[in-house]
Amino acid sequence: MKATNSTGLIFFPAYDWEISPTHPERQERLLYTQDQIMEEGLLDIEGIHEFKAGFATEHDIQRVHFCIPDVASRITPSHNISAGGCIEAARHVLDGDVDKAFALVRPPGHHSMRVVHGARGFCNINIEAIMVEWIRFNYPHVKKIAIVDTDCHHGDGSQDIYWHDPNVLYISLHQDGRTLYPGSGFPDEFGGPNALGMTVNVPLPPRTSDKGYLSVIENLVLPILDEFKPDLVINSAGQDNHYSDPITDMAFTAGGYARLNEMLSPDICVLEGGYSIEAALPYVNTGIILALAGLDYSYVQEPDLDIKSIREEQRILDYIYRLTDGIFENWHKRNELRSEYYAKKEYFQRNKSIYYDTDGISESQVEVVRVCDRCPGVFKIDSQASTGYRILGIHIPRGACQECKHKGLEWFSEASGPYYGVYLQDMDADEYQVRLL
Amino acid sequence: MFKPWGEKDMMLGIDVGGTHTDAVCIDNGSIISTVKRLTHTQDLVSSIVDAVEGLDVDVERVERVVLSTTLATNSIVEDRLGPTGMIVSGGPGIDPREYFLDENFYLVKGAIDHRGRQYQELAEKDVIDVGRRLKARSIEGIGIVSKFSVRNPLHENRIHSILTEDFRYTSMGHQMSGSLNFPRRIFTTYFNTAVMPVQHRFLESVGMALRDMGIYTDMLILKADGGTITYNSAFNLPVETILSGPAASIMGAVALTGERGTALVLDIGGTTTDMGVLAGGVPLMQPRGVDIGGKKTLVRGLELLSLGVAGDSRVILEDGNVRIGPTRVGPPACLGGELPTPTDALSVVGLFDEGEKERARKALSDMSREMNKSVEDVARLVIKTFCHELKDAAIRFINELNSRPVYTIHDMIYPEVIRPEGIIVVGGPAGSLCSLLEDTFGIPCKVPRYYEVANAVGACLARTTVRITLLADTYLGKLLCPEMDIEEDIPGNYSPDDVKAFGMERLDELYEYLGMKDRPETDVVEEQSFNMVRGFRTVGKNIRMRLQTRPGVLPLSEM
Repeated sequence: MKATNSTGLIFFPAYDWEISPTHPERQERLLYTQDQIMEEGLLDIEGIHEFKAGFATEHDIQRVHFCIPDVASRITPSHNISAGGCIEAARHVLDGDVDKAFALVRPPGHHSMRVVHGARGFCNINIEAIMVEWIRFNYPHVKKIAIVDTDCHHGDGSQDIYWHDPNVLYISLHQDGRTLYPGSGFPDEFGGPNALGMTVNVPLPPRTSDKGYLSVIENLVLPILDEFKPDLVINSAGQDNHYSDPITDMAFTAGGYARLNEMLSPDICVLEGGYSIEAALPYVNTGIILALAGLDYSYVQEPDLDIKSIREEQRILDYIYRLTDGIFENWHKRNELRSEYYAKKEYFQRNKSIYYDTDGISESQVEVVRVCDRCPGVFKIDSQASTGYRILGIHIPRGACQECKHKGLEWFSEASGPYYGVYLQDMDADEYQVRLL
Repeated sequence: MFKPWGEKDMMLGIDVGGTHTDAVCIDNGSIISTVKRLTHTQDLVSSIVDAVEGLDVDVERVERVVLSTTLATNSIVEDRLGPTGMIVSGGPGIDPREYFLDENFYLVKGAIDHRGRQYQELAEKDVIDVGRRLKARSIEGIGIVSKFSVRNPLHENRIHSILTEDFRYTSMGHQMSGSLNFPRRIFTTYFNTAVMPVQHRFLESVGMALRDMGIYTDMLILKADGGTITYNSAFNLPVETILSGPAASIMGAVALTGERGTALVLDIGGTTTDMGVLAGGVPLMQPRGVDIGGKKTLVRGLELLSLGVAGDSRVILEDGNVRIGPTRVGPPACLGGELPTPTDALSVVGLFDEGEKERARKALSDMSREMNKSVEDVARLVIKTFCHELKDAAIRFINELNSRPVYTIHDMIYPEVIRPEGIIVVGGPAGSLCSLLEDTFGIPCKVPRYYEVANAVGACLARTTVRITLLADTYLGKLLCPEMDIEEDIPGNYSPDDVKAFGMERLDELYEYLGMKDRPETDVVEEQSFNMVRGFRTVGKNIRMRLQTRPGVLPLSEM
């Protein structure tokens, strides 16, 4: 047996980290997955290589986040290593050691937004975004990146971070926000004024199973990727769509996950959620690894699978087909929609209320972005949290035009008022500064 | 000083290698006699007899005989295994038929999951049917393997009880090792059964030959992990005795130097140079198991790097650069061969005295002309290249060991980094290379006395090693030790300390049973304990532990 695609595996189960002893994010989470991977002998297969995780540095994290008051107070070493594991996965792919890689790491990250006052949805920092920014800085030839987030929960953190970025396409397939945390991710969340259409949300009805999921991949995700032509595709491989997951209500199977990864053929997979630690994760992860490596996964199956009992009803499928068609239609109209909504505006403001369920913090944000035809557009976020911190964060994007760059620096130097501090991300300079007031 | 053996006890160590058979006799902690003979590859028993006869032995005082042989290794590597039946039950995952080597491998229905719960019953009728078919082909040995049998040996035991009457040789996967890895379990169990007939005949013949010489003590056999097993265990687990040769040398290096620090061991032979690593004087083990005959197994072995840069390696000029190995060209020119080797280079510069120096000079003369350098300069360049190749390989080897994945935050933050503080060199050309290797590596280099028979010394003094795996699942109320075939009911409050105490007791009983005079040190080499939470409530503990006798050697009195 030999892998068609050489595949790297970064396995970091963090056996000594938990949110609390009975929390879904506990030490036991990847134990049975490791058992299954070891018993299957996956690491012995020619072309499958296991690599050690690494550490993300404070600088790597600052490329993505405004951590309030600072990085050190918002994370533990587990987060450095989880993000560092993703970075190592990317390094081995981009250096050509392997064709593909899977960062099977925890804790997860896709609910972490650009401003971090605490933990949300079990996430402190966004491990994919930290990896993506590390890639863009270290491998500048990688210009366009697509993130396909198949976690059952809407990846509101990743969406927030890439909302204004025309070079990072973020597509999320998740259980409809009307029925599940975090309650967002509707088709009209479609990207900021400079990146309209670069956020694509597909809220799927509860009980969606293999046929529904794979139809979205086939009829929406793959055609969009074909047009976007990314240099790199990342799968946020949350595994809580599984029919046995205790905290969601979908009906995806291990075989379905494997098929999804075969169709999508991502360069890098990153584990996100997935809390059916005995009945799903061991089989789903085995399926994903085999599919990434281009090996036969047809015998991978949950012991208790009864495919007939979880197959979706026709009306669910019909709903999904209509939904997909509508989203695809909008995607093709993204440029017209942009002229219609934003052409005459110089700045655009949005107000957001954010709740940090894990830490019980509320935050309100006012975000102002410069509508720009020449670059992704500078933006600033005025953020006030129930912890008492109020900050101003300014982001000068990669490839910013002179005006935007100038504007950002002006905002940074002139800010005054009731802020704890002003935070600056100057992506081209790779400089991250804080001015305490 | 501590003396595990009586003052009057004599010990023999014999290492039957591919080229040489080496033997030593140790009396009262001192090496009193050594011998090196060519191996009769067609008759290993007579090689052993020759070597023992060449030693200065008082047969009546021989208390311990340890044998390291290539028998099992060669049967596998040279593909001289008789037809062997394999009965495998798998269940979902990778198709087990991927690992089937021939038509005597059979798949039967039955499945067990990662926690050891049966979710598909064993198809007993199929088992009986497969047994009949194998029997009809006059097959005498079967291997029995099920997926996750180390979590629950139910199906393996059941197949065994159905078929045991019909087959002379049987092995079950869970008895090979407590580690997870279904494909490796299949190959390990297959090899174990397949080498049983030849191993049984061999051990019986050696035992008889020794008795003919008046040596009546029980023989011990060296394993790939540098420990020994008893004659009886070697009958049931012959696969454990593969690849014991390099382990013998490394244990010999430990015995001859009394090394207690972190060191690199180089065993420079004719065909290969084997590298091993000592940490705190204890050899490092491979995490998953050794490779043999192109297959990966669960056989525990020392962490080794085998390099085709050795005394008899080919030396050529390629684009103006000296290249060594990886192939062997036969004996060095100075010893009657035709082509130049590193040994010839040593001969030219006066670091190797055997054979004819003139032949060595002649072998290097072509290169000397081509490079427009004196023969001595070419020889020095060859030796320099040789040392550098070893150093580069050692650096890669150590880097690889240090970049092994770890699974806890603690191990990420506080990694156990291996940094050798010295080198121990054994094997044929060791003596002449010491100062050159010291200069190249930049760390102290030791060449112990008796370096040329370090392998036999290592075999002679290696301690018995045992490793057991313990799994406690307090939710299921079960404690399992697959290697010892133990399955016990345990209470809900069973703790890691209880697991450890249980394991230590079982090991003590085993040491007693094996008649080990001194109680060896036992290490907990792996320990994990997880709270099992179902429905947001803690329902039990999942405890995993590995206990292992620390590999080591009996002390020499000169140390």
